[in-house]
Amino acid sequence: MLTENFSRRTFLKGSASLSALLGLGVATSQAPKGLIPKAQAKSNGKVEQFYNACPRNCYDTCSIVTTVEDGRITFITGNEKNTYTKGRLCVKGNTYPRVVYSPDRIKYPMRQKGRGSGNWERISWDEAYTIIAKKILAIKKEYGSTLPICLNKYSGNFNILNYATEGMLSSIGYTTRAQGTPCDPAGSDAQGFDMGAPYNNDPEQFLDADYIILWGANPAWTSAHSMYFIEQAKERGTKLVVIDPLITQTASKADEYIQVKASTDGALALGMIRYILDHQLYDKNWVSQNSIGFNEFFSYVKKNITVEWAAEKTGVPKPVIERIAREYATAKPANIWIGFGMQRHVNGGAMVRAIDALAAITGNIGKKGGGVNYIGEETWGFNYSTMGFGAPEGSGGEADRYVNMNNFGAQVLDANDPPIKMMWIACRNPMAQDPEPTVVKKAFDQMDLIVTADLYMNKTVEYSDIVLPVTTPFESVGVNVSYWHYWMNVNEQAIKPLYETKSDLEIAMGLSKKLNQLKPGSCTFPVTGDPLDWVEKEMNDDIKALFNVKSWDDLRKNGGTAKANESITVAWKDLKFRTPSGKYEFYSKTAAEYGHHPLPIFTEEYKAPKEYPIRCMSPHWKFGIHSQFQHQDWLMAIQAHPFLEIHPDLAKKKSIRDQDMVKIINETGYMTLPAKITKMVPADTVVMYEGWWKGVNYTENFTVKALQEDMGEHLKGQRGIAFHDNFVNIEKA
Amino acid sequence: MAKKLGFLVNIERCIGCHACEISCKSFYQLEPNMRRRRVQELPEDVVGTPVRAFVSTACNHCDDPACKKACPVGAYTKREDGIVVHNQDLCIGCQMCGKACPYSVPMFNPVKKKMDKCSMCYDRLDVGQLPICVEKCPLEAIQIVDYNEVQPANAVSEIPTFADTSITHPTTHFILHKPGKQSRRF
Repeated sequence: MLTENFSRRTFLKGSASLSALLGLGVATSQAPKGLIPKAQAKSNGKVEQFYNACPRNCYDTCSIVTTVEDGRITFITGNEKNTYTKGRLCVKGNTYPRVVYSPDRIKYPMRQKGRGSGNWERISWDEAYTIIAKKILAIKKEYGSTLPICLNKYSGNFNILNYATEGMLSSIGYTTRAQGTPCDPAGSDAQGFDMGAPYNNDPEQFLDADYIILWGANPAWTSAHSMYFIEQAKERGTKLVVIDPLITQTASKADEYIQVKASTDGALALGMIRYILDHQLYDKNWVSQNSIGFNEFFSYVKKNITVEWAAEKTGVPKPVIERIAREYATAKPANIWIGFGMQRHVNGGAMVRAIDALAAITGNIGKKGGGVNYIGEETWGFNYSTMGFGAPEGSGGEADRYVNMNNFGAQVLDANDPPIKMMWIACRNPMAQDPEPTVVKKAFDQMDLIVTADLYMNKTVEYSDIVLPVTTPFESVGVNVSYWHYWMNVNEQAIKPLYETKSDLEIAMGLSKKLNQLKPGSCTFPVTGDPLDWVEKEMNDDIKALFNVKSWDDLRKNGGTAKANESITVAWKDLKFRTPSGKYEFYSKTAAEYGHHPLPIFTEEYKAPKEYPIRCMSPHWKFGIHSQFQHQDWLMAIQAHPFLEIHPDLAKKKSIRDQDMVKIINETGYMTLPAKITKMVPADTVVMYEGWWKGVNYTENFTVKALQEDMGEHLKGQRGIAFHDNFVNIEKA
Repeated sequence: MAKKLGFLVNIERCIGCHACEISCKSFYQLEPNMRRRRVQELPEDVVGTPVRAFVSTACNHCDDPACKKACPVGAYTKREDGIVVHNQDLCIGCQMCGKACPYSVPMFNPVKKKMDKCSMCYDRLDVGQLPICVEKCPLEAIQIVDYNEVQPANAVSEIPTFADTSITHPTTHFILHKPGKQSRRF
């Protein structure tokens, strides 16, 4: 925290350098009044700045500087000391003051009489804890264990201290857990089979790339800070190729855009591989020294793959495949970024394995500026001390029970021994984000008690019994790292929690206290503790050494952000892979153990059913990360409702004009929304972006089935969802 | 020689993200509906091949500002460096300036009952800082240029959707989007 406690008078006389430090404009005597709200002095004029970390499920995980005047946040922006954040935030991050002071914040614990009725009454924290604790103890008594209690928590806040929620549930006994991730599972398994783990190069190394292929990734919307490095590289002469079924915002910036038929990217990669092998453009030394199974893979490709076949399959003309293959194989280093969306298909994992193979045969893995970059977790080695207390003595059951987060509703309904009777939901909005929301609702209907901790009255809260109001990042303490860049960011408490909000960690301690009051020994989670002590406990010697910091507090005092030692920022630099053989495995026995072909082969895409011939994709939207941000009025003022992108040819066939209301339907559900006629989507595909718009009573998942991806069990415990293999029909409403 | 400051908006760099607009709203703590900078979608065939293209505009700090002419109380001044400043203390909220501006820049603030527009953050410029939108654009797509000093070679003053520049002579210039190669499905 940079505290500058001085009077407003002194501040107005302050030097330009001081104002630069504070990021504030200095009001000169000539300045007309009324133009600079910050100069309208309030009370004693105490101006402070704090470091925060954006904890959302986002590549960029920014380091933030928050300006607080007289206890109120007046500006939130990026931290210049972080060379990835570069002092700037994305559009979503720029709305943070409104996130904090939104009139829509949930202010107090509340109880709803009748799920979905909107009949909420304010209760005290003590009442809330009492209702919840009594229910937990009653369930334990009735069923002999706490397994009927189910936790569904994931990525709404990746602050390491938020794992206190998992810790709290573990501290009452064995429970049922929503396991897995809707995010990256198939692709992560693929990289796990090939290399032992997903591990990406530092995105700041886009500047070192000679050639960049963004393969189903749209950083212009989902990672604006990466897009900056990509644009810089482009200006220096690096060629940017974007491969995507849609002309995304990123594709619009490409030197070359290649429109691939959705879910055939693996065929494209294998076609390129065939060309590279035929023309001896592969790195013979690299494959002979660093891989196993190359010959088997080579034989598979020779026998089964031709460039003509790939062209037919993918819709990419043969000469384009050949040229891109040659360019990619001869550029040194060449960088591939595989987007998460590309693998949200029934053959997603297999497609990632094929693209990995393309990078491996050209020797681009282990090279600065190169790589086949997907996701990484090298910097996540915290202590997770909030999770380590274990079940109390006398807990029934032997271990936690898992249900697949990606088919949550159905698996909760299927769990019968014992049945699930209570849900705790935190950092998650399953009613909006899960496939088949009607099934999720059925699962909710089976519950005796649903407790949701959240910031806003979202779809899940609307269907809960008790809501617990939580803090924003600016009202609590924490630490964050990214699954993409290599920085660690401190999160200080910038302001007092608004209203009666509490962090997930405080909620864990509060509930434990109540449980132990009602039944001593019923919860092992500590009942008190200073969040500052908790966050300091997350740091161990390894992570301190990796980031060259003495402590959390040391980092707080020294810029609030630190980059990991560069020895880890080039993935697989030592070419020691974490596979059973220690080599890159074109032939993976582990893959075979999980029921897959051992080689990176092409597996067929999901075919459109006759009655629902149109693919409906639901990619990420620029004003939201999942169901966060878009509902804020600052963003609603720009885009007030969802829309469906439709190609002019399809629109013509269906007699749909721009802005017409369109009904989109399949066997799972339907919804009606305005059309946007655009050539950005192909004629066999419509697009509805992911998000929660305030006042809109449907989400993109209304038509999404719980159709599984091909991989995910190996590293994530469960397979993911083929969100983009969603087929529908449309008609003018 | 006096300066002639104006925005230079790089459409080639712009990703249409609205961070410029929202960082401005945040810094000046504007009401939710007030927009001193606006990002607009351009027609998708603007460069020949279909793309998602956007342009970010604020006040154009015109050489011949219609707002200033229309204001009955003299709330507008044009500084020597070209920045058009609106003084809210003098403003009576008659909205004549908003009607006169070919770009509909001045907006009525229904809470303050006054007009409101971009000041090019002149108070920040005066102490050597950049306007917020310039400093906070994640793609560095907005610059301030002294057009009496430099005439960026590839900059143009007119783009589709932008009103006739002969009326007020806006200082804003644009760098157009360069179309890339596209291989769309056969």
